[in-house]
Amino acid sequence: MEYKAPVEEYSGVVREVTIGKGKNSINIGGENMLPLHFFDKGSNPNPMKFALEVLDMEPQDWPEHLTQPFKDVISDPVKWAKRCEELGANAILLRLVSTDPAVKDSSADEAATLAKNVADSINIPLIVYGSGDDKKDAEVLPKVAEACDGMNLLIGPVQKENYEIVGKALLDHGHNASALSPLDINLLKELNVKLCKFFPAEKIVIDPESAALGYGMEYSFSLMERVKQIGIITKDNMTMMPIIADLGGECWKTKQAKENKEQGLLWEGITALSLLSAGANIIVLRHPETLNLIKKTTEVK
Amino acid sequence: MVIIGENIHVIAQTVSTALRERNAKVIQDLAKAQTGAGADYIDLNVGPMKKDTEETMQWLVNVVQEATDLPLSIDTLNPVAMEAGLKTCKRKPLLNSASGKSLSKEQMLPLAQKYNCDVVISVMTDKGMPPDVESKIESIMDTVAYANELGIPNEHIWVDPILLPISTAGEGQRFTVLNLEFLNILEDVLPGVKSTVGLSNTSNGVPDELRPHLNRTYLVMLERNKLYSAIADPLDKELMSLAKGEMSKIVELIYKTMDGEDLDLTSLSQKEVEYVKTVKVLKGETLYSDAWLES
Repeated sequence: MEYKAPVEEYSGVVREVTIGKGKNSINIGGENMLPLHFFDKGSNPNPMKFALEVLDMEPQDWPEHLTQPFKDVISDPVKWAKRCEELGANAILLRLVSTDPAVKDSSADEAATLAKNVADSINIPLIVYGSGDDKKDAEVLPKVAEACDGMNLLIGPVQKENYEIVGKALLDHGHNASALSPLDINLLKELNVKLCKFFPAEKIVIDPESAALGYGMEYSFSLMERVKQIGIITKDNMTMMPIIADLGGECWKTKQAKENKEQGLLWEGITALSLLSAGANIIVLRHPETLNLIKKTTEVK
Repeated sequence: MVIIGENIHVIAQTVSTALRERNAKVIQDLAKAQTGAGADYIDLNVGPMKKDTEETMQWLVNVVQEATDLPLSIDTLNPVAMEAGLKTCKRKPLLNSASGKSLSKEQMLPLAQKYNCDVVISVMTDKGMPPDVESKIESIMDTVAYANELGIPNEHIWVDPILLPISTAGEGQRFTVLNLEFLNILEDVLPGVKSTVGLSNTSNGVPDELRPHLNRTYLVMLERNKLYSAIADPLDKELMSLAKGEMSKIVELIYKTMDGEDLDLTSLSQKEVEYVKTVKVLKGETLYSDAWLES
């Protein structure tokens, strides 16, 4: 008897989110199949995307083998961003670490000016992340949104504590929101429900928190997997959004990545490949050689 | 549905202070209020009771018996406190609770036999909480067999499947579904046993104002799956109406939602829609979040 492999067909479709404007924009999401289930019915119109990360100040705790590719531009975020574009990134993630009250507490206006400069200087879309301090982000992110009015950036992290004020600014100035919740599917859904009361669902990207290999990656993995399954299989309206895996920073914090370069590249690369297979639609990396490594690994021959 | 009133509970600050200061009025008021609200038993949850164990328990039981004629459920893990409580009860009490843990089998179950009282036995074992229906059944069968050997008949045993909070990341909903299944088949594997649950545990961790929605709806769902009794809050009027079978229209709506019937939400009142949404999270059909009523 001839064996016929079962083929699944799914009813859910992940919303397609566009970041940026015009010919410089990218789309993420839009798939109606589980990650890498090419043997089932359905398709993914937007293959995985990769962003490289740029900080708004010279990094303090990066090992030499991580700063090396940007050595000459590392004190200038605009040049650094351009370098990342040349190195093949699909997008830039500008992280406003210096605004953190525990770092430099630099002002919202400074951050906004820088974000606008970076956005104007590159030909790929910009993602802007605040420091993660929810109170300070509630000041900084609205300013960034205003300075970059109409540029359709992806801005985050929008959190339970600040979604009303940040969400409103993103809406007023035409941006996408990256909604962050701490590794919990129930909290993730709750934030989306609340945000969607005034913010369009098709402009939300889910940031479920990405932990590094050996430091809880399996939690992020099963959470992303679950978000996709609940969206694609059971059509839960509040989980059918694309996922951003902001993992570079987590990987390069580890002792293993700091110890030596090859270990670091593999740490970041394996974490990225794992979360891609769990369903992440866009991955944030720090090292351009990791980017090459993954591109090579995932290239369709 | 037999309701065991949960409000005399040492976690409540007023209760723990009243116990310490021997303030009979606070305790008696709670006992009277629950009796008036239609409870069938009064639970006395005293925690581990490290000091003046016997004396405190006897005082508490006597004080409550002055205020109500209802039978008592003696709720402690301390066997000395348990025996002191059982001994003082005028009406046949409920021993709450024993489990499949060795210590409980050695110290608690013999008390149920000695005082010829009903006993709550949970599915817990030395290995912890059994993770699925099959292992829950297996563990309760073992413990019930052990109890039978001690001379405790099935008719005296109230099985507790242990409810977990629905809001526990990812896992909570799996357990709300699994416990329905467990209760449904319990009677077939252990004829004659009764059952009980700590109902409010389902909504632990959920914002206070939303907890009653889960407790009320789940009670009806559990009852449909043959639950005999629940330790719950009798001061929740709507919960008691449901427990006493006074809200047939809502019960019917809950059943229809459980059966997956297509309901026209626009024809329902807001309250009815909330019941429908709550059934859907409790049966695992929609993913739970604290905003479940809003989406």
